[in-house]
Amino acid sequence: MSPVLDPALPAPYRWIASERASDVEMTQAIADPVFAPVGRAWWIAVLVSLPFVLWFIGSIGWLFYKGIGIWGINSTVVWGVAIANYVWWIGIGNAGTLISSMLLLTRQQWRGSINRFAEAMTLFAVAIAGIMPIIHVGRPIYAYWLAPYPNTMALWPQWRSALVWDFWAIISYLLFSIMFWYVSLIPDLATMRDRTRTRAGQVLYGAFALGWRGSARHWNRLKTLHITMAALGVPLVCSVHSIVGLDFAASLMPGWQESIFPPYFVVGAMYCGFAMVIILALAIRWGLNLQAIITANHFEVMSRILLMASIVMGYSYATEWFMAWYGGQHSDRSVVVFEFTGTYAPLFWALLFCNVVLPQALWFPAVRRSLPALFVICVAINIGMWLERILIIWNTLSHDYMPSVWRSFHFTFWDWSFLIAPLGLFAFLFLLFVRLVPAVSMFDMRELSHKEGAA
Amino acid sequence: MSPVNELPIKGSQFFERSSGALDRRQALSLLATGIATGLAACSKPTEQIIPYVYMPERVVPGQALKFATTLPLSGFGRGVIVTSIDGRPIKVEGNPRHPCSLGATDVFAEAAVLSLYDPDRSRTPLKSGEIASHEAFRLAMQPQLRQMHASSRKGFRRLTRRVTSPTLLRQIDDLLQQFPKAAWHAYEPVDEDSAQAGAVLAYGRPLQAVPRLERATIVVTLDADPLGQGPDQLRNARGFAARRTPHAQGFSRIYSIEAAPTLTGAKADHRIALHPILMGEAAIAIANSMGAGLRQATLPDNVMHFVRQAAADLLANRGAGLVLSGHALSPEASALVHWINARLQAPVDLIEPSDRTAGGREAGTLSHLTRDLQSGTVDQLLVIGANPGYDAPADLEFARHSAQASFRLHVGCYVDETAALSTWHVPQTHELEAWSDLRSCDGTASIVQPLIRPLYSTRTEHEILALLTGRGDASSYDLVQETWRPKAGAGFEDWWTRTLHDGIIAGSTSAAATPGQPALPVVGAAAPESSAMTVLLRPDPSLWDGTFANNAWLQECPKPLTKQVWGNALALNPQSARRLGLTAGDVVTIDADGRRIETTVAVEPGVADGVASLTLGLGRRNAGAIGNGIGANAYAIRTMASPWMIPDVIITKTGRCDEILTTQNVVRTAEDVRELYPLRELSNLGKPKTPPADSLPSLLPERPLPDDGHAWAMVIDASVCIGCNACVVACQAENNIPVVGPEEVARGRDMHWLRVDVYDHGSAAQPKPGFQPVPCMHCEHAPCEPVCPVAASVHDGEGLNVQVYNRCVGTRFCEANCPYKVRRFNFFGYADGEEYANLGFESYRAQKNPEVTVRARGVMEKCTYCVQRISGARRAAERDDRPIGVDEVKTACQSACPTSAITFGDLHQTDSAVNRQKADERHYALLGHLGTRPRTTYLADVRNPAPGFNEDGT
Amino acid sequence: MQIFRPGANTIATLLLASLGAIPVLAIGLIYQIAGSAYITDQNVTRNQLVPFSHEHHVGGLGLDCRYCHTSVEKARFAGLPPTETCMTCHSQIWTNAQMLAPVRVSLAENKPIRWRRVNELPGYVYFDHSIHIAKGVGCSTCHGPIHEMKLTRQAEPLTMQWCLGCHRDPAKSIRPREAVFDPGWNPPDDQENSGRKLLAAYQIHTDNLTDCSICHR
Repeated sequence: MSPVLDPALPAPYRWIASERASDVEMTQAIADPVFAPVGRAWWIAVLVSLPFVLWFIGSIGWLFYKGIGIWGINSTVVWGVAIANYVWWIGIGNAGTLISSMLLLTRQQWRGSINRFAEAMTLFAVAIAGIMPIIHVGRPIYAYWLAPYPNTMALWPQWRSALVWDFWAIISYLLFSIMFWYVSLIPDLATMRDRTRTRAGQVLYGAFALGWRGSARHWNRLKTLHITMAALGVPLVCSVHSIVGLDFAASLMPGWQESIFPPYFVVGAMYCGFAMVIILALAIRWGLNLQAIITANHFEVMSRILLMASIVMGYSYATEWFMAWYGGQHSDRSVVVFEFTGTYAPLFWALLFCNVVLPQALWFPAVRRSLPALFVICVAINIGMWLERILIIWNTLSHDYMPSVWRSFHFTFWDWSFLIAPLGLFAFLFLLFVRLVPAVSMFDMRELSHKEGAA
Repeated sequence: MSPVNELPIKGSQFFERSSGALDRRQALSLLATGIATGLAACSKPTEQIIPYVYMPERVVPGQALKFATTLPLSGFGRGVIVTSIDGRPIKVEGNPRHPCSLGATDVFAEAAVLSLYDPDRSRTPLKSGEIASHEAFRLAMQPQLRQMHASSRKGFRRLTRRVTSPTLLRQIDDLLQQFPKAAWHAYEPVDEDSAQAGAVLAYGRPLQAVPRLERATIVVTLDADPLGQGPDQLRNARGFAARRTPHAQGFSRIYSIEAAPTLTGAKADHRIALHPILMGEAAIAIANSMGAGLRQATLPDNVMHFVRQAAADLLANRGAGLVLSGHALSPEASALVHWINARLQAPVDLIEPSDRTAGGREAGTLSHLTRDLQSGTVDQLLVIGANPGYDAPADLEFARHSAQASFRLHVGCYVDETAALSTWHVPQTHELEAWSDLRSCDGTASIVQPLIRPLYSTRTEHEILALLTGRGDASSYDLVQETWRPKAGAGFEDWWTRTLHDGIIAGSTSAAATPGQPALPVVGAAAPESSAMTVLLRPDPSLWDGTFANNAWLQECPKPLTKQVWGNALALNPQSARRLGLTAGDVVTIDADGRRIETTVAVEPGVADGVASLTLGLGRRNAGAIGNGIGANAYAIRTMASPWMIPDVIITKTGRCDEILTTQNVVRTAEDVRELYPLRELSNLGKPKTPPADSLPSLLPERPLPDDGHAWAMVIDASVCIGCNACVVACQAENNIPVVGPEEVARGRDMHWLRVDVYDHGSAAQPKPGFQPVPCMHCEHAPCEPVCPVAASVHDGEGLNVQVYNRCVGTRFCEANCPYKVRRFNFFGYADGEEYANLGFESYRAQKNPEVTVRARGVMEKCTYCVQRISGARRAAERDDRPIGVDEVKTACQSACPTSAITFGDLHQTDSAVNRQKADERHYALLGHLGTRPRTTYLADVRNPAPGFNEDGT
Repeated sequence: MQIFRPGANTIATLLLASLGAIPVLAIGLIYQIAGSAYITDQNVTRNQLVPFSHEHHVGGLGLDCRYCHTSVEKARFAGLPPTETCMTCHSQIWTNAQMLAPVRVSLAENKPIRWRRVNELPGYVYFDHSIHIAKGVGCSTCHGPIHEMKLTRQAEPLTMQWCLGCHRDPAKSIRPREAVFDPGWNPPDDQENSGRKLLAAYQIHTDNLTDCSICHR
């Protein structure tokens, strides 16, 4: 279908690449794809992702039936892919809310074009991340014992454990993200209610629009609520991944027991989250013909953030190595040596390349503006960040205080399953999302286009 | 979760279990598939209580009873005390009164209870493979017996293992009187033949040497392994320990000259590897230094240097110097060793061998038997208890020749390789089900009394012999009593009760013979140098001669030095391996003049150059579901002529590779080892040392010891630990620890709560290994506790770090955060529906300790300091309002330990053994600097090297 | 055009409110069910092959508990009488009673009588009768008014909470040793301090009584 807004190059305005974008055109441009008949591309995408969803469900079923022995974990390396996935997905999940709340607080004009789907990404990622700790444990049916609830055993969770903190972090973060996402969705839901032609559509959108009339009072309350939640959101987001960091930092093991973990985990989360946002932005921009709304400038600024984050990551790694040496603990030093030379050395070098070396290409404006290049870098970053998480686990556990039990992890088919299948589920959910609600915030864009003078 | 119901269930009925178990399994799968709700009480099956009809005497449901009995190893007895609950023997412990147990056990004794319940045991007679009845067998025997009486030819042969049982020997005498032309042969795969031949050379008659290590200050071993697995291990180990604590008078010094690493070599103060061919030369060198005036020994310089030092030390300690010779030595060499010991007035007793009948009859050898079989002069062949079909030396071709006999009867616990060769097989009764008697290595006799009615309709050796001598009605019980009634004299009944209670027959220990001065043997010319490889055979430290191949505990018991499980491997030293272009894991064929076997290569420093060592006892074909096809069968290249040493073998690569399953991969990382396993030298003990790491200041709040109650702690003395694994198997038996099987071990999983780590202070050329048993440390500041989200890992008031299985959800955070990695996780239902091979069979459940929960899948478990024993002692004490006695509680590992390396007790009882040990200057905490304040601590290993001497001649 | 009727606002408000309320209520409900007899089998009477009446034997004839439950003072398991114990009397009296037929059969055929468990604890709970008896915990404290039960039922919920109730504060339920086997015993008015006196007398150390390792291994 031909775009309502025809993208003009070079972009006449900073954040809108179209000569003109009246409120109507803007609304059409974003809302129409939802009402438009389903395109072939979408169907193909769904058909591709669906098998992965089934694979994921099947894998979980088999896991529950056979027990977690189907993974490559062993007596020494007792943690594996499930935990790494959890940290990785939570990381992805962090970015969406972090981005939109921070950008909202810092009054960044361009957030409007990306916040909606970035937050959606958060929801799905956190949901998937939430599955991981449950399937990770040996007796999943008792996973609910981590929750404090009155019981006839007169027992409560053990509050000193970082895992219990995790439990709360995930729950509260998920609930918050849903509300934050939903609040900013209300005006658009109303728009959809008014534009849809089917009765069912009207009832559904209408119900969720909570009777939004767009009165001045409505707008006022929405803005207040939204900005307040944003203010609450930023610390919450930071807390979530700091706590994930504490899972490791609050331990006794060489390579884990490091005070740098919480901040460094938060940055890492933002890092791979942003990379994922860029990947999704590319997909949506192409899929929904939003070239006029998600402009090269958007990618430009986002890649700058990536560049910054990659430098911070590099710095964090360096700090780890330095402290290991400076601390003078034999065990810490020997773990670092093991990272560079041990069983997993190739993966470690790969992670350094993906997270620290490759992103340096973003110093060059040409690279920042070349979408293919950006895509490659972002994928690399996501792989690198997963490697980082799994290596944090493997290196320490495979090479801790007791040489007598040094053992290494061996990947099994099921490890691969739980690594790959969830990606399919994520894609699937995202495909549903773009068919149900506007992938970009219409009211924000209308406002932006007025500010930019495109209206 | 506990499938073991503590309900009294009658005699043989105890396999049928209250509905609890099965439903527990179903429940598990249901729960696992998420169908059942989390409420544990849902759809609870109603258990049944099945009381007795007539209450047996003394039995209190669920309460343990202990009985003394005797277990054989290579025909020699070791006294044990067996715990039985509701008529089910579940645990073996040592008998303190028995001179060859001294209250300790070895792996084989500990594992006997598992073999008892082995579902692969033979249950019915077989006629050429077809199930038959005992009646049918009796009928089939009649014509044979008539023929035996009639036959003029020496047509009747009987093959046993080494027989020390007075009753059996008496029966054999009777038998041979009835059938004058019949003959009795005995074959023991792990024999003492060369030693006895040596005695004949030296003293003109076969004498058995009983070394007294507790009286030896200097010990020189020539390829001997007194501390290694064997029928006399427990006595030797205790003797060794007596002289290896700094407080003991006269700390001993051990020189070990050996072809491949042994436990003795590992504990030795000086060790050197020497080709077995040259062992004799070493003996000559020592003898010469004592004025034997034999020909010049041809030895490499460094060995000569070593031997001189050893000899000098021996001479300096006349009366307390001792030389021990190994299996592989030639009769001349061992005769020479006898001469040397006589010269030194060495602390070694020589006793008359106990495998002779009262009438002085001695068993013929297996080679004679096969020769007769070959010549077709044998009609009836009775193989009782032995398994020549598997363990006969290959060059005898027993399997082929045995077919010459028309009637072949095999009596054995298993339908094994020999049963497959026989026309008749009769199931044999297990030692724990039978009445019998045995003599131990020092000649002490003791009664074997049954702990349980035979599980299947089986026969004892005695009953079979009685059948032959026409006394088919006589029970083993009567036969054993007949043997002893005359010896006991008047008041037999009292004597009998006392003997059964004590577990030994008073005054039966054979007195040391006084054979006079030994002759100096004539020694032949030195063996020619050979560049070809020599394969050295050794009994397997976990499976011995193969008898125990179907015992899963022993298959998965890590071999002391290599830590290999589920198989054996050809051990070469790095140089030899390089020379042959081999690396660890290569599958090779060993070709010993025409006889071939395939095995996997393991590179092991400490093996002499040009030697490859391989253990016997594996590669069984008809062992059972556990033992079949595990490892390589070394008997297939063994020869009668030189049973322990196969010269001139050709080792060729097959190109294939195979993983060697081990539970420890790294033994030599200098910096860690120095910290984890400090090695002290006797000479610099008593010098001021740095404060122990566990008393360093800590930011954590002190956990004050509870002032009432107890504070349990354990101290392990690395100086006397010989790494024999008795503690490991004892722990497994006591605590229902499952076996995971080879596939799981290959994936890096294991379940032993107690592991014995090996750390090597030496170099690849000169290994100096030491053993460190690692149970849970029960840290006062336990890292596992704060990380558990559901409080399944918690501290109790007596300082135990307890793991609550039924609360554990399996996050594994505790193990991830345990610096000692002593926690074990049920990745699968190893004991709970997903057992390895046939380990899930009902019969095995009878062995489970009802006082210990059987852990479910997905649950973390670990050493509990045998909390069930502590709790038992506490309740017993509180029932009669008294405090728990000093050192009253003994953990399973502690009571198994042959060297008493493990002490356990209450820190609040000032006179408890642990407090004494903690006062020792060698005391240290493992990784103490982490501030975990472990309750399990160690005493550093002490070695006593000769001042100013160094193996490599510098 | 109007999509919703005016009532919709109220419904919406209610729905929003219930989002918060429902989880809380659900947990409360589950807790109630978990503690209810439906789950704990409290007061559930099990039918037995032989309708043995404690009311008659204990309440009526005044048999001592230990006459049948012989190991209650010695072992973890209180012990169930072997058939011969029943027959000591019933070979003389009620020799032809129909309801005793299974007992006679059991003795004749040497087949044990199979009773259905009434007080059932999970396998991972290591309860020891002997120590409770020795420390002055009476039979009826856990087994209820056994001398009034025509057919035996589980008198208490036997939940962990219930066990802890006593392990946290034993004083309120222990009695003089001589009264342990008296099913009709009632706590005196000053149980609190007489209990405390007994605690001292029987040397009951309360500090570790709630350790996990006391009941679980």
